Amino acid sequence: MTDIGNPLGLNPGPDAKLSEIVRAATPWSSKLRLSGGSVSDTVAAIFLVLLILVALFVDFIPGLVSPRLPYGDFSQLPDWSLNGLLGTDDIGRSIFSRVLYGARTSMMIVAISTTIALVAGLLLGMLAGYYRGYFERAVDLFANALAAMPSTLVVLAFVAVTGPSVITIIVVLGIFDIGTYARVAKAGVISQSNRDYVLAARAMGATDGRILLQEILPNLIPALTAVMPTLMAGLIITEGSLSFLGYGIPAPAPSWGGMIASSTDLLSRFPLLILGPVLAIVFTVYAFNTIGDYLAQRLNNRERES
Amino acid sequence: MDASPTSRAILSCSNMTCELDSVTGPLKILQDINFSIDTRRALGIVGESGAGKSMLVKAIMGIAPRGLRIAGKIELDGQDLSKLKPKDRRKLIGRRVGIVFQNPMTSLNPFVQIGQQIEEGGRIHLGLSHNEARRRAIELLNLVGIPDAADCYDYYPHQFSGGMKQRIMIAAALICEPDLLIADEATTALDVTVQKEVLDLLQNIQAERQMSMILVSHNLGVVAGRTDEILVLYGGNVVEYGPTAEVFRNPRHRYTEALLSAMPQMDQPAHTRLRTIPGQPPNLASRPKGCPFAPRCPAAQAICHDVMPDVSTGIEASHRFACHFPLSEISRLTPVEAAHVQ
Amino acid sequence: MNSVKPYAKAVSTRLIAGVLVFLLVTFSATALSSLAPGSAAQLILGDYATPEQIATLNATYGYDLPIWQRYLSWLGDLLRGDLGVTMFSQQPVLGVVLERAAVTFEIAFLAMAVSLLGVPLAMYTASHPNKLTDKVMRSVSTLLLAVPTFVIVVLFSYLFALVLRWLPATGWVKFTDNPLANLWYVALPVMCLSMHQTAYLYRVARNEFVTTLQEDYIAVARAKGLPLSYILFHHALRPAMPQIITVMGLSLTYMLAGSFVVESYFAVPGIGWTVLSAVKSHDIPLVQAILSLTVVIFVIVFMLVDLGYALIDPRVKVS
Repeated sequence: MTDIGNPLGLNPGPDAKLSEIVRAATPWSSKLRLSGGSVSDTVAAIFLVLLILVALFVDFIPGLVSPRLPYGDFSQLPDWSLNGLLGTDDIGRSIFSRVLYGARTSMMIVAISTTIALVAGLLLGMLAGYYRGYFERAVDLFANALAAMPSTLVVLAFVAVTGPSVITIIVVLGIFDIGTYARVAKAGVISQSNRDYVLAARAMGATDGRILLQEILPNLIPALTAVMPTLMAGLIITEGSLSFLGYGIPAPAPSWGGMIASSTDLLSRFPLLILGPVLAIVFTVYAFNTIGDYLAQRLNNRERES
Repeated sequence: MDASPTSRAILSCSNMTCELDSVTGPLKILQDINFSIDTRRALGIVGESGAGKSMLVKAIMGIAPRGLRIAGKIELDGQDLSKLKPKDRRKLIGRRVGIVFQNPMTSLNPFVQIGQQIEEGGRIHLGLSHNEARRRAIELLNLVGIPDAADCYDYYPHQFSGGMKQRIMIAAALICEPDLLIADEATTALDVTVQKEVLDLLQNIQAERQMSMILVSHNLGVVAGRTDEILVLYGGNVVEYGPTAEVFRNPRHRYTEALLSAMPQMDQPAHTRLRTIPGQPPNLASRPKGCPFAPRCPAAQAICHDVMPDVSTGIEASHRFACHFPLSEISRLTPVEAAHVQ
Repeated sequence: MNSVKPYAKAVSTRLIAGVLVFLLVTFSATALSSLAPGSAAQLILGDYATPEQIATLNATYGYDLPIWQRYLSWLGDLLRGDLGVTMFSQQPVLGVVLERAAVTFEIAFLAMAVSLLGVPLAMYTASHPNKLTDKVMRSVSTLLLAVPTFVIVVLFSYLFALVLRWLPATGWVKFTDNPLANLWYVALPVMCLSMHQTAYLYRVARNEFVTTLQEDYIAVARAKGLPLSYILFHHALRPAMPQIITVMGLSLTYMLAGSFVVESYFAVPGIGWTVLSAVKSHDIPLVQAILSLTVVIFVIVFMLVDLGYALIDPRVKVS
């Protein structure tokens, strides 16, 4: 970079130093960690895996009571049983159970919205980046229009007309993320379009579709996966806020935001009611953000090398 | 070395050693550096990339990288720099020493007007008023040859060429009227014709203002004819140190001799193959015990690899070198007469 | 220096884009009301409305007209400064919206001002990296960004209003009525909204400063013997400004999104609270008006941020 820097080209920031030293001292420890990541990155990854497992298989957890039926006394303190781990809410339902089922709801919304956004965003972005011209401008306009509105407001506008529903949230939030994915895809395609392998494929007579799907698309994956976790965290937060306001997932379905909202009345006497959903949301968002940072860092490093 | 009663050393280094911690262990970047410069004298520091020239300059200026351990004594204007509080050291260096770095394209802040970048030293260290600082800065801009100085004052760096940027750097270095001016590879990044202009400018300024000067370069041609003394660095060690004319005429260390012979000369026939020094500069991580030049030295013996040579003196007491088997004293045609403009 | 002409071209390009965005969004907003099951009027009036009432409402607001016609007439009204009348109070929408917007703006402005504290903090930790303060701030900011605003609202309200009783849990006094009381009520909302802002600005600023501090010209400034504080403010700050401005501009998005939760929880009569009550009562014209106003503001702010780059970086030719 400059000549006034370290003449040996070493940039020993403490993280690098520490990991280098650790790696040198304990060769086996590299298998325990995500490559190039720190301990918190691994913890975050494990947490997310657990979260996905819970979302998929919560029905099969033995001994877990239903999230909708009261099972104990009102507003009990947490104890060491499976269902009482986080206490009971004002109706007597197990908070722990509701948190786990809430995980399913949240993850479902995240999954479907992201799928919508990713597919549409990829499609629009790749076409815009490959063919440029008016189509690119249209896609830019669309992305800018999306950025010019807060998603929460639009969902609320829909709710004003159609009433709260899960489908509304999923679709609207999904549409809002299209812009970001499209922009990333477009930028990626533009930067890849002039690379040798693309020119070679075209010279060999490959169709545009084949080039886009089989040659360019795999190279977009690092950049896309770098932004995904951050957007997913945003989805969790937005859905949580909407449920908190009462316009998200309709009660009595368990949702973290909704649980927090219904606990606020009793906060003065039973402050621990919010413990469960708050921990769930904070850990989830934190895990997504951490993974997002890690992937972005990896992307940066890879780009710097190539 | 005799110092005349009216002159004193503006800068002196005694047994200076610089070590940097790295993953593979401590690296000795500089070892046992001894030299001094008197007022109104010019010193040239030459060596290959990696010989430690830049680190030496940074250590003196107090901008060495974090984690650099400096042992030994550096004295500026008679004051031991290591004994000063950081704030006082910073003020002393800023006031007494001006420095011009290698890369004019990156040495100026592109977001700040050049006028401010010149005057800031004066305003901070000398407490100059806004108008006074501006006046002095414009004077300096004229001195270094920037046309329309008053108009250019509010321009941004990107509006100037590389050579002009370097002149601006020189002006900035002079704002506090320093006693010592350091030019660290100041002309390396410039065009050949511009190099000569800038070096001449530096020499003139030094003479006019009666400053001391250090010219750091890997290019012997830069220091030839412009310096009173020369210090040759190799692998972090001083291999030769003495009056420039004497060292050029009578190099005692084989590295110095090789450097001199590698310079193209006007009186050589065209297409003469230039002499090169075989081998690579030493890897500081695995530094050999003895003389750092031993692996590449054509006359190296067993002792050269094991024992670091002591410093011996030549005909003149001020000419010193570190070699077990130095070249003998022969007079030779001085290549310094040849006008090889770089 | 830069001439005026490239600026004019850049502004006009962005203006056109902005207008297109505005038209696109407001049209969608108008089309939205057609989504209502039955007719929009039915939704507004509720289940007990008679067909005549519905027809009257439809005629007044034009819900029986095709979307295009409705949109064009709405645009026409807009250009005359008429945003319609709210369902309930029958007050002109524009007046209501502006009054509420002022409240939200006050909170947003104060929150952004508080968040600027992140900049000097970032300066300090960037120049003293990996010391205790830096490590603490890194953890704190990460943690803060992981807690959604509505959770912060609940927790802060619990702590400061319920437990410590330092600040009021709800309520609002207009600034023009009583500045001191206003400050007392505005404290909690501002604190909640500024948490994320500060953390985010801190991180972005720190990254910028760390990069800038590695530049050659900073080493030159240090070699000149200039004090660290001078270097930070006069040499490191300016290159970091573009990113800082971007964050501040984008903070608008966050402020508005956060305003829903903050204003409803603390009972502050701002735009967010207005939207929520409009949603509850299906007050579609009001929602439409607020949506339009929001788009306009966002477009203008984004455009300013964009152009701000050119003003700050002397090397950038406005293109």
